[in-house]
This record gives sequence, structure tokens and C-alpha cells, in this order.
Amino acid sequence: MNQGIDLQGSFVRALTDLGLSYGVAKTLWLPLPMVLILIAATVSIFVTVWLERKISAAAQQRIGPEYVGPLGTLQAAADGIKLIFKEDITPAKADPILFTLGPALVVIPVFLSYVIVPFGQNLVITDIGVGIFLWIALSSIAPIGLLMAGYSSNNKYSLLGGLRAAAQSISYEIPMALAVLAVVLMSNSLSTIDIVSQQSGYGILGWNIWRQPAGFLIFWIAALAECERLPFDLPEAEEELVAGYQTEYTGMKFGLFYVGSYVNLVLSALIVSILYLGGWEFPVSVTWLADVFGVSETTPWLQVITASVGIMMTLFKAYALVFIAILLRWTVPRVRIDQLLDFGWKFLLPVSLVNLLLTAGLKLAFPFAFGG
Amino acid sequence: MLGFLKQVGDYAKESFQAAKYIGQGLSVTFDHMSRRPITVQYPYEKLIPSERFRGRIHFEFDKCISCEVCVRVCPINLPVVDWDFDKATKKKTLKHYSIDFGVCIFCGNCVEYCPTNCLSMTEEYELAAYDRHELNYDNVALGRLPYKVTQDPMVTPLRELAYLPKGVMDPHDLPANSRRAGKLPQEILEEAEAEPKS
Repeated sequence: MNQGIDLQGSFVRALTDLGLSYGVAKTLWLPLPMVLILIAATVSIFVTVWLERKISAAAQQRIGPEYVGPLGTLQAAADGIKLIFKEDITPAKADPILFTLGPALVVIPVFLSYVIVPFGQNLVITDIGVGIFLWIALSSIAPIGLLMAGYSSNNKYSLLGGLRAAAQSISYEIPMALAVLAVVLMSNSLSTIDIVSQQSGYGILGWNIWRQPAGFLIFWIAALAECERLPFDLPEAEEELVAGYQTEYTGMKFGLFYVGSYVNLVLSALIVSILYLGGWEFPVSVTWLADVFGVSETTPWLQVITASVGIMMTLFKAYALVFIAILLRWTVPRVRIDQLLDFGWKFLLPVSLVNLLLTAGLKLAFPFAFGG
Repeated sequence: MLGFLKQVGDYAKESFQAAKYIGQGLSVTFDHMSRRPITVQYPYEKLIPSERFRGRIHFEFDKCISCEVCVRVCPINLPVVDWDFDKATKKKTLKHYSIDFGVCIFCGNCVEYCPTNCLSMTEEYELAAYDRHELNYDNVALGRLPYKVTQDPMVTPLRELAYLPKGVMDPHDLPANSRRAGKLPQEILEEAEAEPKS
């Protein structure tokens, strides 16, 4: 496996050649990918909101937003500006500290999780050893924020919504972690880079979805539940709970929940594409293609093409999953809270446990195919 | 043991069935995405109301004989008829007539029963006002003629679904003299009259 483009290495080398010390060069490099990812995550909100509104409209034979910008692409910006200019109200009997802390605690972990999302061999903020585990850990912080928001609002609907959100997140985190564990078992590493590398080499045939079909479904269902997407949007079920824990929020505090939910959806789609759909891998192995055409892997132009194709493939897979999530939203009715918990504890948990044991067994039996 | 296995099998079968039905549902939603939007871009495009549309009521002051039948047949006795008895001519003279469209349910009973046809239904439905008292139309307001969508230069009139040619679903860009599906009422009448009486 070649290393691909090492932007960090080249940048640091260029600066050290200019006479800076290695530490200073590295410090100068550090904020660049962070800001880039932050911008990318923010832009992804615009794209996702636009997609959600347009696809929802199409599924209902409507037109959707079309006046704000070309084809309504700037609708999210208009919504955001409106939210910024709205009055920021804290209810009189609410707990002001918790009320403000809630949305922040929901949004920050989601953005923080982008640290481990790779878009290429070296196109990742940090390749830390705990990788995917960091994401699982960070995603368990969100329910605390939701509970905080629900409890501090001093409103029965908010409290119920917050409790439901916490119950839902906690129940679906377990099957999700077990599904991730099965993948980790095969790749012998928690690092997202290693997980993708393990799927590379055979094009579409090497992707984890063929070895972990059950795991893929479990993870996707659990991810939808974690994002509170329909059919699992009970915490904000407007027919029952007004807007759940968001009921008392206005202005940018509400905007933070809104941003958080869409960034979380994109993040989950990205993680699914990394864990199960080969991350930045092209459906046909690029190394194999390069061999066929007799091009060396280290050719600069090939590396540039590979890197851009990698970014495109990651985003394409993620947005295909977002599309499925939006389509599901208009297909499946909302489940009841008892059905939700039944499904999580009595179906997903045993199935994911069996999936994990089966993967372990297969790994022992066929170490060549299941990463022995 | 066998019972347990059967249970497991049934459960698995049900799970797969549920997955199948969700898949079928997804294909339905996906199919809808390729259909044309049925949106009518309201202030710019408007549907042409049908002949029997029950819109704002039109009132002709001079035809009214102040008989108050409209009040009697109205479910809530809504029309206000203000008249004086003229002893010289021994007839009622109408002074004021008003209907509050904030309360009216547009059932059309008054129009149906009016002996002199001084009440009629119009195709006007845009009655929005800033104050509900503005919806209380007096005889002057009731006497105004409605503005037809087909004559409004700002509006693209669109035909309703039943008035489109056979097989056409889209009211946009119809050829000028395209006929609606089926026979027109007057044609049915003509045919019935042309037939020899039995």
C-alpha cells in the first residue's frame, strides 16, 4: 500500500527548509486541516438541508425551495440568518446555565468527531489509535446535553423529550458499539485509516458490507436512532411532545440543535461509509487500474487523482446514505416508545451479539477472508 | 425443542417480511420522486374555479323584495335584511342588506331559495382581511362583480384536473382550444332532445 499524498509532511518540510524549527512548522500546520474540516462540516449542513427539503418535496410531488438562490440552494443560509436575528429567550423558570449548556454539549461532540473521519490515506486530522472508539465515546456525550436541555427547560414536553432522547441514545449505542466491534475484530485496529485499508485492494468486493451485511443494517438502524431521524424521531415527535427538548428554544440555541442534528446525520453517514462501504475506495481498485495501464503508483498526477477521487467517493457514499435516510423518512411511520425499546433491546442487541460471535468464529475459521 | 425452533423460524420470517415491506414502501416513495410536482404557484398561477364553485355571494339590490327567505333557510339566520313597510304602496322597501362572510359557511341555501334570483354564487374566494369585521359585506360590497382569473394579466390561469383533455395530467402549456374529456352538459342535452321521444 502506497502512502499517497502526505500534505502534512510536505508542508512541514517546506517550512523547515525555510529555517523554522520542526515544532513551529507543525504548529503552523495544525490549524489548517481543522479549519478546513470545520468549514466542510458547516457546508455539509447547507447541502444536507437543501437535499432534505428538495427530496422531501419530490417525494410529495411538491417543488420545494426555489426562490432563495439558484434552485433554492441558499435556503439554509436564509434560515440561519433568520435564526441569528431572532430574540434569544430563556424561560423565566428555566435554569439559565443548564439551558445554555445543553445545546452546546449536543453540538460540540458532533463537530469533534470529525477529527477521526478520513477522506484519504493522509487526509485526516489525526489518525489516533483509538479512532472509532473516540467517536462512540463522543456520541455518548450528546444524550447528556439533550437531558440537560430537556430538564432545564422546566416544561413537561421538554422533560419527556429529553428523557426519551437519553433512553433512545443509550439503548441504541450498545448494538451500535457491538456492530463496530465486529468490524474492529476483522481489521485488528480501532483506527479508521486501518479499517479502510483493510477493505482496500479488491475494489467493491473487498468492502465490509459483504462480510458484515447484518452489521451494516444494525449499524445503520442504530445510527438513524442516534441521529433521531424518522422512524426514530420520538424525542421531538411534534404530534405528542410539541418539539420535545427543543420546545423552549429559540434563536441560535435552537439553531445549534438544528445544526447538530444535520451534522450528526452527515457524520453517521460518513462513519457508515468508512466502516462498511470502503471509505475513500473507488468501486474498482485504483492500484489495480494503475497496474493495468502500467502507471507507477508514485506518479504525482496519479496521486492527485487518487486523492480527489477518494474525497469524492467518501462524500458520494455518505450522501447516498443521507439520501436513503431522507427517503426512509417519508416511507416509514414513527415507532412507539415501547416498540423502540423492544426493537433495540430484544432484536438489535441479540442480533448484533450473534453477529459479533459469528464474526469471531469466522475469523478463526477463515483467517484469510476475515482478517486473521 | 421443536417448538422453540419453530418460534425462532417464525420470528426470522416475520423480520424478513417486515424488511420486505419497508423495501416495497421505499420503492413507492422513490417512484414518487420522478413524478411531476402538482404545485400551483399560487399568486402567479391560479386554478379556474368550476362552474358550481360556491364562492362569495353576489347580491342585486334592485331585485330584492325583502321576503327574508334567505334568512329562514340560512342555517344560522345570517343575512341581515333591513326594510321599511311603505304604507302608500303597501310594499316593503329594502334599506340595507348584509352578509357576514366571517360566519357564512357558503352552503348556498340562500341562493337556492331566493324567489327573485337576486342572490348568486361567484367564483371569488380570496376574502382575506386584516380585521374580521371587514368580512361583514354590506349591499354595496355584495353587489361588486368578481374578478375573473382568466382576465387577470398577472395570473396564469390553470384548468382543474377534471377540465383537462383525456390522459393529460399537467395543466401547463395546453394547446389553446383543447377540449376537456367527455361530453359537455349542453351536448348531452342536445343529444337527448334530438332523440325521438318514446
